[in-house]
Amino acid sequence: MDNNKYHSEVDFAIRIGGEGGEGVISAGELFAQVAARTAYHVFTYITYPAEIKGGFSMIQIRIKDGKIYSMGSSVDYLIAFNQQAYDRTISDLKVGGTLIYDPDEVEIKDNHKATCYPIKLTKLVVDATGSKLGKNVVALGALGHLFGIEFEVLEKLIKDRYGSKGSDVIKNNLNALKAGYFTGKESQWERKFQLVADADAKEHYMLISGNEAVALGAIAAGCRFVAGYPITPATPIFETLTDLMPKVGGRAIQLEDEIASLSACIGASFTGEKAITPTSGPGLQLMGEQLNLASMLELPLVIVDVQRGGPSTGLPTKTEQSDLKFAIYGTSGEAPRVILAPSSVEDCFYQTIRAFNISERLQMPVLILTDQSIGYRKATVRIPDFSKMIEVDGSKLTDEILIPSPERIEIARRIEIDPEKLNGYKRFLDTPDGVSPITTPGLPGGQYLSGGLEHDETGKASYLPDMHLKMMRKRFKKLETLSNALEKNPPEYEGSEEAKIGVIGWGSTEGAIREARLLAEQRGILFRHLHPKVLSPLPERQVRHFLAGLKQVIMVEENFTGQFAHFIKAKFGVKPIEIHKSEGVPITPEEIFNGIEKVARIVDETTIARL
Amino acid sequence: MKRQLQDYKSVIEPVWCPGCGDYGVLTSLQRALLNLEIAPENIVTVSGIGCSGRLSHFLNSYSLHGTHGRAVPTALGAKAAHPELTVFAVGGDGDGLGIGGGHISHAARKNVDITYLLIDNQIYGLTKGQTSPTSPVGVKTKTSPHGVFEDTLAAIPIFLAYDVSFVARANGVDTKSLTQILMEAISHKGMSIVYILSPCRTFPLLDSKGLKAILQPLPEDHPRGDKLIAMERAYSDKPIFTGIFYQVEKPTLEDRLQSVIKKVCEKSNGGDKYSLDKVLKSFA
Repeated sequence: MDNNKYHSEVDFAIRIGGEGGEGVISAGELFAQVAARTAYHVFTYITYPAEIKGGFSMIQIRIKDGKIYSMGSSVDYLIAFNQQAYDRTISDLKVGGTLIYDPDEVEIKDNHKATCYPIKLTKLVVDATGSKLGKNVVALGALGHLFGIEFEVLEKLIKDRYGSKGSDVIKNNLNALKAGYFTGKESQWERKFQLVADADAKEHYMLISGNEAVALGAIAAGCRFVAGYPITPATPIFETLTDLMPKVGGRAIQLEDEIASLSACIGASFTGEKAITPTSGPGLQLMGEQLNLASMLELPLVIVDVQRGGPSTGLPTKTEQSDLKFAIYGTSGEAPRVILAPSSVEDCFYQTIRAFNISERLQMPVLILTDQSIGYRKATVRIPDFSKMIEVDGSKLTDEILIPSPERIEIARRIEIDPEKLNGYKRFLDTPDGVSPITTPGLPGGQYLSGGLEHDETGKASYLPDMHLKMMRKRFKKLETLSNALEKNPPEYEGSEEAKIGVIGWGSTEGAIREARLLAEQRGILFRHLHPKVLSPLPERQVRHFLAGLKQVIMVEENFTGQFAHFIKAKFGVKPIEIHKSEGVPITPEEIFNGIEKVARIVDETTIARL
Repeated sequence: MKRQLQDYKSVIEPVWCPGCGDYGVLTSLQRALLNLEIAPENIVTVSGIGCSGRLSHFLNSYSLHGTHGRAVPTALGAKAAHPELTVFAVGGDGDGLGIGGGHISHAARKNVDITYLLIDNQIYGLTKGQTSPTSPVGVKTKTSPHGVFEDTLAAIPIFLAYDVSFVARANGVDTKSLTQILMEAISHKGMSIVYILSPCRTFPLLDSKGLKAILQPLPEDHPRGDKLIAMERAYSDKPIFTGIFYQVEKPTLEDRLQSVIKKVCEKSNGGDKYSLDKVLKSFA
């Protein structure tokens, strides 16, 4: 499988839309599971309402013969359970696509030059089971037939999924599945593509969400302590970790709120454990004071913020990149911390390992910013080879430690003081890289006082003017240390050196920007794309190198005010054109391309001539 | 080599006001630890904000002086991660009954094996005399210049209602009894709260003489396992009882976590822990 190929023989997207509570998402996830067991890559995108029942809900599954970077800009197959699903998404259906709909529910106003296949989902499920529940399984059956999936494969899937719910539930679901499968067969829908299972693909890949990838990354990094409080859309990280921790001998504890959760992580880290707490914006805000404390105590720990639409309760189930400023600056006083932003489901796994490595080595909190779209997105991810995992010791903060990859995973821990050298031990000793020796409870003679009050190198409270300045410098020096190490990493940008336009994005928009670059290149517009994974501190020389020679910088963000743009403007004095999307849904490659095309008309004379 | 009381003193000299009840608390704790022969390196002390929060500075242990009200969940994390350590949470009436009051019930539900020293002086002393949740009705403070108009919080009944598995009240000035109670609290398997009345000399609402007059040890035959009798005696204000009101045995947080680990691994992996590879393959 060619992971990086842009032009594909196989590349299509299926969208199922309906009402929340109708099982649209579970049907789509089951279908994605089948698709993931073929030779193809799978990428899902989910949007669901904040209510348990009601509201518009949909899942989109993209299937491709190479690595997938975004959900794409349009769909090839649309399955509409009701009028709302049709009305809201028909414009996304490609001309010549396939529309599957329930004719008792949906009135077609414009078929969008699509091939239309009616299927009476509600009637079929009532006839088959006597209940309206299970429309989704009828649809799964119909889709399964359309893509030539063997009935037995689907049958097993249903049994696995509903196995714990008793024989009646399985029986009804299988009847619903049959009704859909054989209706599709009898109606002789035209099969455009066949999904054939591939045992090899099943062996080396997992189909996981970004949230699951974070949880697995934490386990891989050696984290054995999670304390958390449920919050949408970060809850699946906590759920996954509460399931996995006991399996690996770790501890998972639900606390009474986010303040207590981060407090418990601080306590655990103080005793030497790697600790994590998953949350979303409102929870991060509650954690502010304890985040400050962790920075002041110089304790390693990892906080994951799966961002959602804000402010306040905002859009709990929708995506947004709007906690960046709070993550970088949001505390009383000035407390250094590191901000990472994974850019794909797979990257969630590796950046989480990296977060632990950085946090342990720099003795400071690291925040991972993901968002709802990446958290709930599922993608096929290759299972890394753990024979290539190395536990690193020694005191060097090497570049390799900073970027784990499928080829090389290094696991770092805080560097504890040699017990022979405890004489004169100062927990907060000022050192050239800012990182001090540390002891953990249990070590005789290593006792120390650590506190949120400003303190001297021994930990004793001190309010002397010189001491405050000295310790502020010491704590912030660690960011410099990291920034210098990042400079030695391979540059995090791609695209032509000749380009006059540069696009900067962060986090989950990477795939969409990458695909926008493909669209642009097809039309002769060149740009280079910087997508830093460590947002703060930035490797400034690398960013300056990226900016050199550009006529215009474009910044793409899913928020209202341009938070990363503010940061870049302040640091590098550039005046970017900003593309913001603040609608709760991810930006598409086409939307980005449209913006870039407009800029290209102004910036690049040669492009103007061609267009 | 046998340890001395000195071994439990940190290099930092206490800075409380002369005559402060907190001196008695510190000494009693040091004595209790010495008597129980707990090594300083195996002690974690997490304290909150206020005069009492400074206690962690003066005790030779792995000491964490944290934020206002969060000593209990922080101590909980330390104990959950490393159950072999002896873990203390220390805070005052503002810390534990005001800003951080919400944490106690949940720590009690988990029965985390920590000892919480809640040192009550009925006033916010460090910030020079504002109303606390236990300031008596009618007294004038900096933030109740016309007299406190809220009811006083009754701490012991709350802890009993939360089903904290060890609940005691002590006179901070009576170091002999306090040492005894602390030794029992530390030895108790599960969450113990020792609620200590500690007079503030600078903003005196409690004074040691007055305390002596109204305090009375619980009857010798007080049944520790009977919550209703404990509750009745907890509400008594003449006299105010001291001693161990309530003590029951129930699984600690560590017991509960271990039983989950055992159950999960036995059920799905023949009793062994999962390898990393197996964890990831379960998502294939």
